[in-house]
Amino acid sequence: MTTKSSLLKILEKSSRKGLGRGNLGVLVARAGVGKTACLVHIALDKLLRNEKLVHASIQDSPEKVTSYYNVIFSELVQALNLTNPSDIKAQIDKNRMILAYLNQSFDLRRLKENLKNLSEKVAFVPDTIIVDGLDFSKVGVEMFEGFKKLAQEFKVEVWFSALSKGIPGDAKPQAIPAPADKFDSFFSIVIELQPTQSAVELSLLKDHDTTALLDEKVLLDPKTFLARG
Amino acid sequence: MAQDIHLLRNIGISAHIDAGKTTLTERVLYYTKRIHAVHEVKGKDGVGATMDSMDLERERGITIQSAATHCEWNGHTVNIIDTPGHVDFTIEVERALRVLDGSVLVLCAVGGVQSQSITVDRQMNRYKVPRLAFINKCDRSGASPYRVVDQLRQRLNHNAVLMEIPIGLEAEFKGVVDLVSMQAVYFEGAFGETLVTGEIPSHLRSEAKARREELLDAASMFSDELMEAIFEDQVTEDLIQKAVRKGTLLRQLTPVFLGSAYKNIGVQPLLDGLNQYLPSPGEIENSALDLDADAAEVVLSPDPQAPMVALAFKLEVTPYGQLTYLRVYQGSLRKGDELLNTRNRKRIKVGRLVMMHASEMEDTQQAEAGDIVALFGVDCFSGDTFTDGTVNYAMTSMRVPEPVVSLAVTPKDNKSSTQMSKAIHRFVREDPTFRSHVDQESGETIISGMGELHLEIYVERMRREFSAEVETGMPQVAYREAISRKADFNYTHKKQTGGSGQYGRVAGFMEPSEDQGYEFVNAVRGGAIPTEFIPAVEKGFHACLEKGLLLGFPILGMRITINDGASHSVDSSELAFRQAAMGAFRQAYMSAKPLLLEPIMKVAVECPSEFQGGVMASISQRRGMITSSAEDGVFTTVEAEVPLAEMFGYATTLRSLTQGKAEFTMEFSKYNKVPDSNAEELKKTFADRLKGGKK
Repeated sequence: MTTKSSLLKILEKSSRKGLGRGNLGVLVARAGVGKTACLVHIALDKLLRNEKLVHASIQDSPEKVTSYYNVIFSELVQALNLTNPSDIKAQIDKNRMILAYLNQSFDLRRLKENLKNLSEKVAFVPDTIIVDGLDFSKVGVEMFEGFKKLAQEFKVEVWFSALSKGIPGDAKPQAIPAPADKFDSFFSIVIELQPTQSAVELSLLKDHDTTALLDEKVLLDPKTFLARG
Repeated sequence: MAQDIHLLRNIGISAHIDAGKTTLTERVLYYTKRIHAVHEVKGKDGVGATMDSMDLERERGITIQSAATHCEWNGHTVNIIDTPGHVDFTIEVERALRVLDGSVLVLCAVGGVQSQSITVDRQMNRYKVPRLAFINKCDRSGASPYRVVDQLRQRLNHNAVLMEIPIGLEAEFKGVVDLVSMQAVYFEGAFGETLVTGEIPSHLRSEAKARREELLDAASMFSDELMEAIFEDQVTEDLIQKAVRKGTLLRQLTPVFLGSAYKNIGVQPLLDGLNQYLPSPGEIENSALDLDADAAEVVLSPDPQAPMVALAFKLEVTPYGQLTYLRVYQGSLRKGDELLNTRNRKRIKVGRLVMMHASEMEDTQQAEAGDIVALFGVDCFSGDTFTDGTVNYAMTSMRVPEPVVSLAVTPKDNKSSTQMSKAIHRFVREDPTFRSHVDQESGETIISGMGELHLEIYVERMRREFSAEVETGMPQVAYREAISRKADFNYTHKKQTGGSGQYGRVAGFMEPSEDQGYEFVNAVRGGAIPTEFIPAVEKGFHACLEKGLLLGFPILGMRITINDGASHSVDSSELAFRQAAMGAFRQAYMSAKPLLLEPIMKVAVECPSEFQGGVMASISQRRGMITSSAEDGVFTTVEAEVPLAEMFGYATTLRSLTQGKAEFTMEFSKYNKVPDSNAEELKKTFADRLKGGKK
């Protein structure tokens, strides 16, 4: 089961039909556009495919992250008319692990340690890691080198959200907005979210090694984050 | 007790189990001249602290019941509700929090913010209680109040700000520097009753200056006046206090006081702070539900002239009879008044009205909005709302969880049997999470509650307070049954052996329902079952839900629809239809594939991060599902959902696994299906038990 009509459409249109294990992907947007909601959509899509997922939250407590999932899930239930929501919810809860790093306690070494404990002690081996709330303006290249290694070592795909600080309309079309641009080389997929008057517009800014990027944009309903039309 | 409501404080003292809140309360009562001698919790003098009014609490060194007491400090009346520290007693904590306007969070300067503090703090957030923090035990070796302040900020997300800094620490702890007045305060006399102020010791001057800057920075966020005064170097004590008060009432600032209750240091400034920074009942908005207006929410006014509304938040048995603690929210209450209990519509007369001071009492003539008083000899349950009869309000109910553990109790002799019944009757009224019933098969009395310790305490109380000697069985998990598919029934109850006959036919189906309740749908058309017998049919089905046919556990989540039936003009009766419904239930139940459900607990284990792996493994071995793991500094909190049946003895496992450095809390979360392999085992155990008679 998948959330076929969701923002995952744009990934299906990408050259490799997704991010792929061992790779890093990022959603870039200005504050308040809905990066976390979009990440949770990506996460729910994986969870509905019965894949295992780790949600690493750099700022929010597990309660807050859980409530994000619950709200978006209940919107999906309505929008997609899902039957048996409680069984699906149980499956999601079983396949999702939230790792929170409060009060600046995040470091890669700890994340790695946590992932090791999860696989060795409770046989939880994730297929995807979502990293939400990492401040790209405060980390260096070594952070993403580390993440790239981690993605390869644990054979997972890693999705980030990044706050763009550029002035809207100022950047060149299809250029990766700052500060994520500094780490461009580490990402296999870069998606930008831009609010328009009545929707959120998604565009693919980087698609693995493809130079011929799709022009096509996907419009999302700003409330449900499902594709329009 | 008519007085200015602005000079009244209803305060709770909450804390982790060993943070020393009982000792602190004892000192507060001593300084406010409510008591004239000081005893310790685990007193060598055999007297014990005054607030721990039950023997058992004295012996275990923990406070179980929230005795309310009142005292006066600097022209203010302060009602103190002592709250229990153990998580099994959270209903007591929640009840206490419901009637409080402010609270003091006591933390240990050595242990700091522990998982219990987090639980208590979370509860306070739920009830929006403004609070102060008191870092106690600064005289202990390893005391580090600055670290505790950091933990308050990081782990509890408090905007904590020091109002004082310590003069010396551990064995050298002598007093505090007040950062508002910038004076050193020492506590002299046998019990620190004499305050001596002096200059700040030279080695602490720069520290004090820096910490005062922090205080001013934090406080100025709540007062433009203070902000301006800082720029103009015109800061006054009054400006600081007003700003801190504003921040505290908004729950955006937590003033932190320091001391050692045991060594009699720092308690009086805390009392001043309590008057200064915590709200009066007039500053807190409380609401009730208007039962005459479809339970619409109404805001209560602390006006003594308005219609009276009060909540019974605690019952206590004293040698003189039942004592009911009331918090008056609106209007006033006088001796001789007639009150209406809005739960059962019964009227009661206010006989004796008293103010409590731990286990002693003082008579009073009247109480007004904001007051906490006790009534004598009133028959009610805790949680009942009383009004003067002109309004029909219910105070918003508190969340009462269903009991999850049960224990068979057998009296050792006849005298104990009577006493045990008395005790149980009492406990049920006091504590909504404590239940009792007689098992029909074994004839044993079963008590149920929220955890092993919860029930142990009641068994001890039976022994001590009621002299009932009882033997207990092994704790049992409260299993439930539920059907998993739809099943039809069509049952005719027919009896014609002498006398008048019995006849009734009931047809329809049973199916699982999403919520865990019981739903009855009458879809009978054309009078196949006469309307007057429908309630009997419903009752018949309802009676069956108490005992499922799988293993005899109560049934959750079932919808029963009846759509056909038949009756006989002479032989049909209520009894016949009741029997028909019961027959129909028996006919369909097993085809509806019943499952066994077990209580799942939400467990949070807090441990130093290096034990994360071990803790995760220990949960996994107990069929637990880990939901999250949160790192915070050197600590990790692992949250999981674990079947209660697997949690017995976990405290011991955790202790040996983490060298005693981890703690856990648990509360009921939901019922889940028992996995097939475990269900088979359970079926065998229960079948053996039935064969072998009662054990």
